[in-house]
Amino acid sequence: MISMEKIAPKIGLYIYDPAETIAGSIDLQAVLEKCAKIRQVEICETVSEPASETFLDSVKDAVTSAQIDRVIWAGRFTSHQRKLLESSLTEAGLNQYLCEWCDLELQGIGKSSGSAKEQQNKAMTLIKMAVARVKLLMPLTPQEIPSSDTAVVVGGGISGLHAAASLLERGKEVHLVERQSGVGGKVALLSRFYPLQCDPHCGLEYVLKTLRKSDRLTVHALSRPLAVEGTAGNFSVTVLSQPRYVDAERCNGCGHCTEVCPVDQPVILDAVQDEKPFRQTNGIGVMIKETRKAVHQAIPYAFPETYVVDRHACPPDCRKCEKACPTQAIDLDQQPVEKAITAGAVVAATGWDPYPLSKLSDYLGYGNIAYVIGNLEMEQLLRRITRGVTDLTTPPVNSLNNVGFVQCAGSRNTQHLSYCSSVCCSATLKQIQQLKSLRLEAKCVVFYQDIRCNGFEEDLYRQVKELDGVLFVRGFPKVKTSEAENCVSVIAEDTFSGRKVEIDLDLLVLAGGMQPSEAGSEFADVTGLPLNPHGFFTGHYQCYPEESQRTGIFTGGCARGPMNVSQSIESASRGAIKALDFLEGSITIKPTFPVVDKTKCDECKRCVEECPYACYYFDAKGFPEPDLTKCRQCGNCMGVCPVGAISINHLTVKQLAAQIEMLETSFLDEDSPIVLAFLCENDAYIAATSAIDSGLNFPINVIYLQVPCAGAVNNAMVADALSLGVDGVFIGGCQDGQCHYIKGNVQVRKRSGDLRDKLTSMMIEPERVRSESIEIQDTERLVQVLNEYINDLKELGPNPFKI
Amino acid sequence: MAPKVDFTKCDGCKAQDEPLCEQVCPGNLMTLGENSKAYCRETSDCWDCMSCTKVCPVGAIETRMPYQLGYHGAKLIPLMGTNTITWTCIDINGNVERFRFKTRID
Repeated sequence: MISMEKIAPKIGLYIYDPAETIAGSIDLQAVLEKCAKIRQVEICETVSEPASETFLDSVKDAVTSAQIDRVIWAGRFTSHQRKLLESSLTEAGLNQYLCEWCDLELQGIGKSSGSAKEQQNKAMTLIKMAVARVKLLMPLTPQEIPSSDTAVVVGGGISGLHAAASLLERGKEVHLVERQSGVGGKVALLSRFYPLQCDPHCGLEYVLKTLRKSDRLTVHALSRPLAVEGTAGNFSVTVLSQPRYVDAERCNGCGHCTEVCPVDQPVILDAVQDEKPFRQTNGIGVMIKETRKAVHQAIPYAFPETYVVDRHACPPDCRKCEKACPTQAIDLDQQPVEKAITAGAVVAATGWDPYPLSKLSDYLGYGNIAYVIGNLEMEQLLRRITRGVTDLTTPPVNSLNNVGFVQCAGSRNTQHLSYCSSVCCSATLKQIQQLKSLRLEAKCVVFYQDIRCNGFEEDLYRQVKELDGVLFVRGFPKVKTSEAENCVSVIAEDTFSGRKVEIDLDLLVLAGGMQPSEAGSEFADVTGLPLNPHGFFTGHYQCYPEESQRTGIFTGGCARGPMNVSQSIESASRGAIKALDFLEGSITIKPTFPVVDKTKCDECKRCVEECPYACYYFDAKGFPEPDLTKCRQCGNCMGVCPVGAISINHLTVKQLAAQIEMLETSFLDEDSPIVLAFLCENDAYIAATSAIDSGLNFPINVIYLQVPCAGAVNNAMVADALSLGVDGVFIGGCQDGQCHYIKGNVQVRKRSGDLRDKLTSMMIEPERVRSESIEIQDTERLVQVLNEYINDLKELGPNPFKI
Repeated sequence: MAPKVDFTKCDGCKAQDEPLCEQVCPGNLMTLGENSKAYCRETSDCWDCMSCTKVCPVGAIETRMPYQLGYHGAKLIPLMGTNTITWTCIDINGNVERFRFKTRID
């Protein structure tokens, strides 16, 4: 290909004005004549039917005959026409990045008030700016970076299993990393799902069907990730696996080992919502005491099917199981193994931990009174009752005459979890339904603050309210410290009636909340991902909720916040689908990535510090270099670089500076200020275009440029504009906390503040630089803000640099 | 008259080992203090070249006007564009003069 820099570009300028909006307010012919005189504009004509064969052929001819090698499309083309024109030009051999779309109408030509002369001048200015830009455009092609087609899913709960299943179904290799010896997580402990009242083990079996039949799945049980290095497409995940002491290939699950195992270790029930080990001192109570052999099936759910030995429980020198195993699968001398997995993407479904209810022991007696249990323990209890377990430790169902439930036990309380755990209300209602189905006579009392059953879960609430013997008391109870036998006394004030409620219960169930899991915070440490103030993983809630700040790492399920089972599955599957982009064998990078000009860079490292995705690393000579697989192409590095050495392709500092230089600062009357606006393409730009489209009085004084993020605006460009005589520079960014790139708007506000201080010391009114948060719907506000700004600028008088 | 650093603005170039003003100073006079803010360690050696003032990304450095050009209170402030510098010169009587120069041909 011929180098574009050496040969002077030849520009084709096509003006399309089907509705005669432009021609109606300006002398289009005069503009055409002027444009034709601009140097390097080879073709300058109006287009009547851009989609017609004849026109397309003529443009293609102009390109193939080398009459033109850049094109400016001035006017409003529909997206269909754009695609058609782009594809025909590509056919003719013109790179699509050598086109410039210059929609005059969208800048207010023919749509904002202003005399015909002013409009005409503005149109000319806009075209000149487009010409200046198009001259500097470079042909660009996407980059392909080879990537692995393996995914690592961290967490084998219901979310992780579904994420793994989604990826396996699409033919990807999956490594599932689970801390426990088996999968299932918290769901394996539940008794029923709501609203269908179906068995969670059925739900687990359903997803495990995909996993069982796949030969692309590797399960790393008793494992945790130690390090996640590298970048999207080519992560290296180090996984440490504790020994299972049973060979997966040989174990056939016959269970002979359990028969000979001499250990009966009391199990700290997986569901106990307590920090400290199971309160064994408390007598039998209703608490479930279970024993387990040292060699047992995987917990909480027996997948993988291989047995596992709990070596800490083994008596010294006991090797009975090893001898008993008919397939010699047991090897008690296994050592921990560290493995490195190359993966294209990582999906973290690290789930949640129950809030330790012992923190509520003061007034709810958890841990002190045996008849006070947590809701996960209640799930286990119900599960055992349904299964017909009758032992000393499981109370017979007919002893449950009065059962109390305390909602928000630990949630929505600034002393504990400040947020709502969102599932506990429905979970309690579900438990009541199940309890009533087992024992209709049981009376239930729910102590609540507000019942929060969103969406269709309201049906569940209505059904339970209509059951006989279910009482809802709005108030937070306190457990009385009485020595009463076989029951727990509760006192509460019903805040509706103001009456005191005092009741003896056979069982009090605390609806404990969900807190971020330990595994989650460990994963955050390993990957350096930020957590939200509550300790959960965070993403851009609306636009890309499952994406983390590290490209290629996705989070799903309760790792992101309290969710019920179906929401977790949705979230994790979405995360898995997003991860697919990085598992295709190669990653396509849009060519609009940042490039560091190393002749200008003086290694100040500010880009490294301020890149919201930490994608800069240092090359062999110490220069910063963006990792393109991490980069989201927001341009914040371009905005922050003190020497203007970083540019994002197709929107380089040079291109922007050239456009600004062509901004004619006197296209309006003398006392009318000119404003250059940089608008974030996510919000403010769309607000501006829709303001013009909806016929609001968008001021003619404003010429705006579209930037990927307000944070991409470099102070040097603002200084350029001011020193060239533009009266005001306006930067429209997102509202705080809504920026797609985390904090671009905050960064640009800080920089504009610095610039304003400098202007003050230069005896230039600092008000000439203004940054504003504009939401996408703020069309009217944007116009109002701009008009006020222009009035302010009028009062300030012309820019002192205006010559 | 040596550069004066506004400590409320200076971020020590995010406490990198060498802030920009240190890199650019021809006399190697600028350095980071214990508070991670830049300062001029030998004010009497400063040539008033203004390199540090121009390069400071947060506009924290002010070079006081050298006595050859104006008395105390006079100011000379650069505004850096992409390939221009715009100078504002304010003398002790408050008279303002502005100059604009192209800096780089690329």
